[in-house]
Amino acid sequence: MKKTLCILFLLVIFAPLVFAQVGVKKKRPLPFEYGRVVIKNYSAKANMPPVVFDHWLHRAKFTCRLCHVDLGFGMKAGTTEIKAADNIGGYYCGTCHNGRTTINGKKMFESCSKTGGADDKARCLRCHSLGQNIKPEYDFKTFTQNLPKERYGNGINWEKAEHDKLISPIDFIEGVSIKRKPLTAQKDFDVAPTIEGMPDIIFSHQKHTVWSGCELCHPEIFPKVKRTQIKFTMNENFEGKYCGVCHTTVAFPMTDCQRCHSKPV
Amino acid sequence: MERLKILPFVLILVVVISSEGLWRGTHMPVSVGVALAQENWLQEFNDICAKTQETTILSSDDLKNLIARCDTLKPLIDKLPETQRKVYLKRLQNCRDFFVFALESKSDK
Repeated sequence: MKKTLCILFLLVIFAPLVFAQVGVKKKRPLPFEYGRVVIKNYSAKANMPPVVFDHWLHRAKFTCRLCHVDLGFGMKAGTTEIKAADNIGGYYCGTCHNGRTTINGKKMFESCSKTGGADDKARCLRCHSLGQNIKPEYDFKTFTQNLPKERYGNGINWEKAEHDKLISPIDFIEGVSIKRKPLTAQKDFDVAPTIEGMPDIIFSHQKHTVWSGCELCHPEIFPKVKRTQIKFTMNENFEGKYCGVCHTTVAFPMTDCQRCHSKPV
Repeated sequence: MERLKILPFVLILVVVISSEGLWRGTHMPVSVGVALAQENWLQEFNDICAKTQETTILSSDDLKNLIARCDTLKPLIDKLPETQRKVYLKRLQNCRDFFVFALESKSDK
């Protein structure tokens, strides 16, 4: 009897925890962690720690379009399935990180090598750094100290940083990117919010195409072009769809309401 | 990058070998033919995907033609080595999808 009561008591205490599938508060990433991607498709197989990729460093130097269109990186973590052989062959990370390419006067280290000897270990760990005590070459605080600040995400207003010419993201790599005619400027447009009382969203095509081009968003993220045909909710955004593909992961997060809901009421 | 630097030399070599073959009255070696085909696919890929920023000024027929060119190019890219195939198939698919999107947008208007 005593045993049954004890089991019942434990069930009453722990059952809500078992069924509590919703309402778990996510830890808000620290500024230097925001946009971090852990790549681990093949690391364990190669007996290596997973790769830690910090978006903040790369987004300061390259446009989104360059990496996600010209180099072919997927928009969801892990979907590209990068292999060491891909990098060695001069693709993905190896497009720049090949030990030869120079960017802004700095020679890029080789991302993967065929030898894989003991001398290579320190170099391997520059990327394969999850759970390792590695001091990165670039310190977030030092790197961003002169950049305009924001409240959320990386705590950096990247758009203003580019506008003020504090960063100049590269959008073309010779031999990889394609020379194209300049994009015709698209007009900004208003999107009416689904919640009454919220200011309209002013969507700037121009701001988005500068970094993302066309085919990064259409049709994969935004499949229809007529504004009346696109119906999505903030919940879907927060689930990582539509605007949320970037604005929950890398671009400023949607907790910064006024940056999108910006039309004066 | 390094491959691109040697590209002119490769092309010169191709021309020399092929002209030598013609001079002797023989056919072009198969390997040279393959090299030329490979250069052609990249040129065609670049030509097609360079148009993604011009879709607003392209006609529906132009877009249909670009989509058809994507479909013709795909089997050539399918024959490339694994990594090259993976990268360029994705890039080609992005271009094709965008042309279809642009075409549908035009017909919606």
